[in-house]
Amino acid sequence: MKKHNGGYFRQILHVDMTRGTSRTEAIDDEFIESYVGGRGFAIKLLWDNLEKNGTLDPLGPENMLVVAAGPLTGVYLPSSGKNSFASISPATGLFGDSSMGGGFGVELRQAGYDAVAIVGRAEQLSYLLIDDDRISIVPCPELKGKGNLETEGKIRDMLGDHDVKVASIGVAGENLVRFACVTSDWSRNAGRTGIGAVMGSKNIKAIAVRGHRDLPVANIDKVIEISEQAYKELGAHDMMDHWQKQGLMGVVDYANVMGILPTYNFRDTHWEKSDSINGKTMLASHKIGNTACFGCPMCCGNINLVKEGKWAGTVTEGPEYETAAMLGSNLGVDNFASILRGNHLCDDLGMDTISTGNLIAVVIEGYEKDLLTLDDLDGKPITWGDDDRIMELIEQIAKCESIGATIALGAKGVLERWPQLAPIVLHVKGLEQSAYDCRGASSMALAYGTSDIGAHHTRAWTVGKELEMGADWDIEQKVDLVIHHQHIRSLFDMFGVCRLPWIELGFHEDFYAKLYSAVVGQQYDLEDLLGKSQHMYDMTRAINCKLGAARGDDYPPPRTFIPVHSGPLAGKVCDKEDYERMLALYYQKRGWDEQGEPQIACN
Amino acid sequence: MRRKIAVVPERCSGCRVCEMACAVHRQRINNPKKARIRVTTIYPHPVVRMPVVCNQCKDAKCMSACPTDAIYKRNGVVRIRHDDCIGCHACVDACPFGAMYIHPDIDVPLKCDLCEDNGHPQCVKMCPTGAILFMPEHVFGQAHRLNNVLSYTHMKEIEYTEGGKPKRLHYADNNAAEGRDGKGSRR
Repeated sequence: MKKHNGGYFRQILHVDMTRGTSRTEAIDDEFIESYVGGRGFAIKLLWDNLEKNGTLDPLGPENMLVVAAGPLTGVYLPSSGKNSFASISPATGLFGDSSMGGGFGVELRQAGYDAVAIVGRAEQLSYLLIDDDRISIVPCPELKGKGNLETEGKIRDMLGDHDVKVASIGVAGENLVRFACVTSDWSRNAGRTGIGAVMGSKNIKAIAVRGHRDLPVANIDKVIEISEQAYKELGAHDMMDHWQKQGLMGVVDYANVMGILPTYNFRDTHWEKSDSINGKTMLASHKIGNTACFGCPMCCGNINLVKEGKWAGTVTEGPEYETAAMLGSNLGVDNFASILRGNHLCDDLGMDTISTGNLIAVVIEGYEKDLLTLDDLDGKPITWGDDDRIMELIEQIAKCESIGATIALGAKGVLERWPQLAPIVLHVKGLEQSAYDCRGASSMALAYGTSDIGAHHTRAWTVGKELEMGADWDIEQKVDLVIHHQHIRSLFDMFGVCRLPWIELGFHEDFYAKLYSAVVGQQYDLEDLLGKSQHMYDMTRAINCKLGAARGDDYPPPRTFIPVHSGPLAGKVCDKEDYERMLALYYQKRGWDEQGEPQIACN
Repeated sequence: MRRKIAVVPERCSGCRVCEMACAVHRQRINNPKKARIRVTTIYPHPVVRMPVVCNQCKDAKCMSACPTDAIYKRNGVVRIRHDDCIGCHACVDACPFGAMYIHPDIDVPLKCDLCEDNGHPQCVKMCPTGAILFMPEHVFGQAHRLNNVLSYTHMKEIEYTEGGKPKRLHYADNNAAEGRDGKGSRR
């Protein structure tokens, strides 16, 4: 067993909100070597909690919420500000996690914890204060109904400290919206899988953290040497200037040209009006500043202001590509200011922009196709690009009012009430599909289908690579690529760093193995670490199987099997038989049985 | 020629690489809270991100506030003599810019000395957006001066074609200046 001389505080903080108690649990080298950190630690903690409880209600007090930064979070290296929030998801009923940027994870580590595991339910709305060693649960009924922006400021005021880090939920989280997010640094979100609703179910309005500790690094000289070379290379990259200016907004043009831009509820994959929602439009009329997560030279965050018109005065950090597409082209909204307004509302109410845009598009298409009646819509019609009605819906979802109360239940809840919408709801396992159409690249269909958390792009983003170079690939190459991505991308969440320098600026993956080795003072190569990541993927599958997932849950949305009818990928479709073959091969390569049950020991 | 640090908040992204560069080089410790430069962020009204660091004042308020004369100057750089510091933090309180920092592990306040012993401030070297500059003292104020002059004149713009290419030219319209108010100022 390796002895790790840095990277960890070797303690996990356990909090029971019902009893109002907390304790720390020491972790040893074996634990560290098996689970690495971040999402890995979360998976192990959730597994143990599941063993203890059997199945559980994601919104019940027995469900566990794990907040875990990784051993590289806050370390002097590019883009080290990531932090995982994980739990059993109320959207899918299965394993769920979402990664948040900003600086919250750094502060949590500085307080001295490798992970925080929270169970129970507070008697009244409270915030959890982690002030180095001092843990308290502070009732804050006065914050009920407050947005994220106000909550963050109020908690700082209460504590009299402007530098305290706060991760909070908005109205949507309080109301248990199945795609409520957790928000920190005003607009950095753990957006997916409804972690905000889990917090809401525990009556936790926010987690406030203040920490002062040194982050343990075994070989600081080596870290400085590798990282400064990294910062230098990234700074000299041809695309750096573009990244600093546009961030992920540059992807709008790419997606449109490639024919993967979700348009009108993924009915189309190319939009003639995409110029009105792209990065150039943002730069020309709305951007007022850059923002970055901790330690990141790319500063992909765009701060935008609406200067005129009906949404004048709206400030928001964002959008990035996903938001511009899901609240823009996918809803037929061609007014950039309206996207900013929607982004602002979602951030403040604490709701995932991807799921929000996905489900509102379902409602619009459902009404257009007479699958929904005017009565279903509370007598108020809605059509593509109707930004007033869209903003109204966003608020109704967060407040669970009128039709919003159904949409708030997520894809599964919508289908339960309106089963006739099944052909037009794009989700996997109950998680709404994010903003890349996958019909031109069947590896992406497999990526969505087999993703442990549902239809989310960051588990394996293979669509670009297949469209660019995969015309001749056989299914084995596609399956291998998906599995490789699922392992390497998970590693970033286990380390607690951002993947963008790697995927976007070509920063080599070996770099992370070297840095991890320098931080923990032990030699690890990438293959070792990928092996650990694979074990984590098996474990989340085991968690999901325990909670009832099976082969039938590993299929992409029905629309994936209907040809694209316009744009650069017109006629493209994912072949159902090909998909069956890919899925069978995927299970085989993973060593899972025909139902996708992993044949491993989880302990 | 003396140089000191200037910050351009408009360029700052709030990434805190400056804090880390300071902490790892000066303390050999991975702890942004042990940095002598710290980014303060205000959002959303207004949106401001500003690295706050010592200005090496000529008449240093920290120095006059110190009850034990632990603060002194060398080559224009304001420094703390650790042996004489009693950790009362009067200097931290006296600094009009809040540019001195306290950490519970360290008794002596953290204060920028321009990395004088290693030549060049590390925060300046590492800032990814060029928001922190190390400039000769005599150029301080030049940017503001130029901006002020440009805003005073009545700038107009004409478009014309040169060699078949559209061009733009700005000029100061002195006739329009007749419309100034009684104090001779537009503002």
